[in-house]
Amino acid sequence: MSSAPRSNTFRRILRSANFRLALIYAALFVVSACVLFATVFVTATAAMQSDMQAVLRTEAFQLAEIHRRLGLIGLAQQITRRMDFRTRGPIYYLLQAPNRQVVVGNLPGMPPVEGVIDFRSDSDAGETDADRGRLMGFGLVLPDGSFLLVAQDASRLLDMQSAIVRAFVWAGGLTLLLAVAGGLLLGRNFLRRIDTIGRTTRAIMEGDLSARIPARGTNDEIDQLVASLNTMLDRIQTLMEGLRQVTGDIAHDLRTPLGRLRQGLEEAREHATTTGEYATATEAAISEADTLLETFSALLRIAQIEAGAQKSAFSELDLSELLRSVGEAYLPAAEDSQHALELRIDNDVCFTGDRQLLAQMVSNLIENALNHTPAGCTVRLILTRSAPTGLEIEVSDNGPGVPESERDRVFDRFYRLDRSRTTAGSGLGLALVKAIATLHGLTIRLGDANPGLRVTISH
Amino acid sequence: MKILLIEDDRQTADYIAKGLRQHGHVVDQVDNGRDGLYMATGDPYDVMVVDRNLPKMDGLSMVKAARDAGTRTPALFLTTMGGVDDRVAGLDAGADDYLVKPFAFAELMARISALARRPPMVAQTKLQVSGLEVDLLARSVARDGKRIDLLAQEFKILEYLMRHAGEIVTRTMLLEKVWDFHFDPKTNIVETHISRLRSKIDKGFDRPLLHTVRGAGYVIRPPE
Repeated sequence: MSSAPRSNTFRRILRSANFRLALIYAALFVVSACVLFATVFVTATAAMQSDMQAVLRTEAFQLAEIHRRLGLIGLAQQITRRMDFRTRGPIYYLLQAPNRQVVVGNLPGMPPVEGVIDFRSDSDAGETDADRGRLMGFGLVLPDGSFLLVAQDASRLLDMQSAIVRAFVWAGGLTLLLAVAGGLLLGRNFLRRIDTIGRTTRAIMEGDLSARIPARGTNDEIDQLVASLNTMLDRIQTLMEGLRQVTGDIAHDLRTPLGRLRQGLEEAREHATTTGEYATATEAAISEADTLLETFSALLRIAQIEAGAQKSAFSELDLSELLRSVGEAYLPAAEDSQHALELRIDNDVCFTGDRQLLAQMVSNLIENALNHTPAGCTVRLILTRSAPTGLEIEVSDNGPGVPESERDRVFDRFYRLDRSRTTAGSGLGLALVKAIATLHGLTIRLGDANPGLRVTISH
Repeated sequence: MKILLIEDDRQTADYIAKGLRQHGHVVDQVDNGRDGLYMATGDPYDVMVVDRNLPKMDGLSMVKAARDAGTRTPALFLTTMGGVDDRVAGLDAGADDYLVKPFAFAELMARISALARRPPMVAQTKLQVSGLEVDLLARSVARDGKRIDLLAQEFKILEYLMRHAGEIVTRTMLLEKVWDFHFDPKTNIVETHISRLRSKIDKGFDRPLLHTVRGAGYVIRPPE
């Protein structure tokens, strides 16, 4: 049971990006090690060869000098002495008379060759070099026709070469092993972190929106990815909760008018007998349906505005003129409901925005003030220019106001103060105001007008 | 009137066509943009009613293509509950008016009539219905020679009603033309202004000129 998943994990590690990366690095290392090896090998060999040749040449010319001074016999004696002392490492000598007769030496006789020669000595040439037998020599034909050869064991060179090869094989092999093992380890670690992300996303897909991916705190690339994923999840959660709330609100707030609509129609079917009664019922049903449609369209508008989709209709406009025209539109209505509507609007205040939305924002605020204050109250619409580019729109009344504890919530969709439940309205007016203000980068505040409500929108 | 209706939703199309035929109009029905373009550029129509979302060719491109082909038939755009962008895009494409679905039939009827009988291009300086006179240059109003003082917004309402004398003008048409409000305020702005206008132009005269059409809108017409 346990071996199957383990081999599966192993296969996944082999396929993981990190492991592949480790392998690529290992291969690159092997290639560069080979280049390095070749360079070291060739250079070291050449250096050692030239070193050995220099030693042999010096020895040969010293002996030639002795031959010039003391003759063949003197040289033979000197060579014998040097062979006995062996003061300068294993050096082999051969002195052949012009008739190719070996005079002295511990090398077999051979045809005279000038310069550097590589050759193989016979097995009986000496006690130390029997096993190897490879020699490097320097031959010199002396003025009297005799031949002098000095040679050195080439095994030092071979030893060094094999040492270099061994070192590289060991170091390379070990590094390769470490790279593969490290790659496996890193791959597993990497996979574990990826798995965590996968597990979290699955949990979210299954409905647990609060799940978040744990970060390791190392602030590496994966941690940064995890952080942005978590931020994204936060945003999604907020949006989802908003959506859930709206859906709930819609279900709750639309059920009532839909219920009324149905009741009215049922009532007409059961009890209406005259055309007049039918007409009244139809009239009522249409008006209920219109209210529902209005609510839908308001919700849609809020959603569109919140999505920021309407910025394309932005243009520079004369806010003073716009507010004045909106305010004046409400004058007769305010008069009819026995409210005083005062307009105090600074001239030539310009602003970049959506004319329709701004008009709707201000008219919603005025309507809100007119609808939620008793007859006899005063509603003020004030536009003031503040600072060079700043502006402030204020709509205030001297009605009952909004308790401080509820001021934040009046901007929620469908939120209505208890005492407003009986007046007409969808509970969406201020939510729309808030959405429009936010779209335009305007700040909206609710304050106390002592008495009454003061809504301030500033930029 | 000969009307071209381009609407893909069968039920909506039938509802509109039936209503228009009851009002004595001839209606040609098409359910996609490509056929709509073919018809619009071929036969002369008084008005075309075009849905925004159409198969084969959307309403926006259709109207644009028709305009490019030289068709001057007034176009009324039907859009779903949408934002300002839709309206602006529609007008840019060459539509003359727009209406947001769902709508009351009276609203559609009023707008079609307003489109079909567009005011003549020659600049009018005086509008007159019975004894009521509006001087657009002097911005003065008089009835039977008696001067009437109107506020700016009342004057604009009266001017619009007079230009469409005999036709029904709806509440939303007034909101759009007089105040440039393309949204629906909950407050009866139009009604309150109309009642003030009415008290100024009709009060004290035995025959009213400004009438309310129940469930539809307002009309200025001479007494029979």
